[in-house]
Amino acid sequence: MTAAAALRRTALEDLVEAQGATRATPPLLLPADPYFDLAGEEFGRRLLLTTAATGAEYCLRPDFTLPIVADYIANGVGEPAAFSYLGPIFRQRETGPAEFDQAGIELLAQPDGDVALDQVLTFARAALDLFGVSPSIHLGGVGLFESLLAQADMPAPWRPRIRHRFGHTEALDRLLTRLESAPELPRAEQPSRDAMVEDITEQMVAAGLSLSDGRTPAEIADRYLEQQALDAAQIPPATLKLLRDYLAISGPALQSLTRIESLARAARIDLAPALKSIRHHLDNLGEASVTFDASFSPRLDYYTGIVFEMTGPRCEVLASGGQYDRLLERLGAVAPIAASGCSVWVDRLEAEAA
Amino acid sequence: MAGITLAVPSKGRLEELTREWFADNGLTITRPGGARSYLGAIEGLPDVTVRFFPASEIARELIRGTIDFGVTGRDLIHETSESGPASVAFAKPLGFGAADVVVAVPDAWIDVTHMHDLADVASDFRSRHGRWLRIATKYITITRQHFAKAGIAEYRIVESLGATEAAPASGVADIIVDITTTGSTLTANALRVLEDGTLLQSEACLLVSRTAGWTPERRALLDAVLSRLDAAIDF
Repeated sequence: MTAAAALRRTALEDLVEAQGATRATPPLLLPADPYFDLAGEEFGRRLLLTTAATGAEYCLRPDFTLPIVADYIANGVGEPAAFSYLGPIFRQRETGPAEFDQAGIELLAQPDGDVALDQVLTFARAALDLFGVSPSIHLGGVGLFESLLAQADMPAPWRPRIRHRFGHTEALDRLLTRLESAPELPRAEQPSRDAMVEDITEQMVAAGLSLSDGRTPAEIADRYLEQQALDAAQIPPATLKLLRDYLAISGPALQSLTRIESLARAARIDLAPALKSIRHHLDNLGEASVTFDASFSPRLDYYTGIVFEMTGPRCEVLASGGQYDRLLERLGAVAPIAASGCSVWVDRLEAEAA
Repeated sequence: MAGITLAVPSKGRLEELTREWFADNGLTITRPGGARSYLGAIEGLPDVTVRFFPASEIARELIRGTIDFGVTGRDLIHETSESGPASVAFAKPLGFGAADVVVAVPDAWIDVTHMHDLADVASDFRSRHGRWLRIATKYITITRQHFAKAGIAEYRIVESLGATEAAPASGVADIIVDITTTGSTLTANALRVLEDGTLLQSEACLLVSRTAGWTPERRALLDAVLSRLDAAIDF
């Protein structure tokens, strides 16, 4: 490490310590199951796994958020808490070593989500500043999209189907294309639900499938009927166009928000609370180069309000985070608890600075 | 090393068909020690060493570059490593061993006919059943790649090294990703392939390792063998 790099590292240590937060140092070796449970196989493929003689699977710490939050829940939730961290994490990557440092903060159960996100954004920018990077900041509005979706005119069962694909541009595009080209089908006569349940039950018993352990006959029949109903109950073309127009919005933040406002006004949809919160954060970001991309969201359904990424001159993500009020519930908390935070990619920052 | 190494499947129908295919193209593979020996030769080509390996090891060693060229299934190249297809050159499909890697669900799932149905089912499976949708397969890499493409993230893989088609009935998994030729095993187990559920069309191929350290001399040897087999590579 050069002297300059050592100084930057010390400054980052100081910044992490200065957050008025508990310094978190979760173990390097963690049970792998919670990661698979939370993020599925998609994230699981990047874990560095090892197996104990008992067959239990462990992974080298792939992030700080999960052990910090799990620990917080185990110690009894409720009180506002703040954690900061700096240390190595381990992930299989296409380029670069599998061990690299991340720094970050986690703000849990804070009374005001906007204030918490302000602290997160300020921390991320301060960290980047230590390495001489003035970033491009990309914002995404998960809450904004959920709010649009809740008010847009469509048969209710379509909403979770569309929400589920938010953040996966190709999958969402495929679904919208399918909806746009759906022909007006005359509805075929459906058997009664009871008859279907009976029929499916027979099939499952004959195949030796458990009727209770996985999908149940009633669940299958209901979704089948719902699917038939959905094929008949199309989403109005005006709503599909609204979604397309909305998702295509990307560019300088103020312009984007203005376009979203006029879209919402024309569609008589009220997005004011979500937009107000985004504008508040924009004001605090001041002169920084900020873009808003209406279709941007991590592919994890526990993100809620505003999400962000900061990139440097090489277009690599240097910091990412946002609000994830559904995370604690996913990890076992019994009620929703506000959460926000970010992580900073220290190795990429050092590469920018060096 | 001056010579080159050819890897041939070490047993069963795949070995027979591979040796027949080479014979049809005028090259006779010999295995002097019989089925218990793993070293062979090609008659009249002293610079080519033949080694007999299980098909999955041929895929692995081609990708690593410890053998120069060999015969194995396309599925195994894709499964062994995400970088597998980029590490080898497909010199020629051999016209046998055709089979598809497919996604199959229980017949009783009458509401699930396409991958997008599966995406819907997976998305709220955990809130309904308190666990993830489970997929039994030995094709972990292929499943992860294709499910990511289809926008399906909410599932867990249960590794299954044999009799995968029995996994839904035994309660080990909800659906499977498996290889099939005629689909009759799936049908017999009341499973149905999704209409867009073919993840990969596989067959036996002659493959050349891109990572094997090709000197001009070794490359000339390889090209001579390939041209006798009417095969060619693009690097």
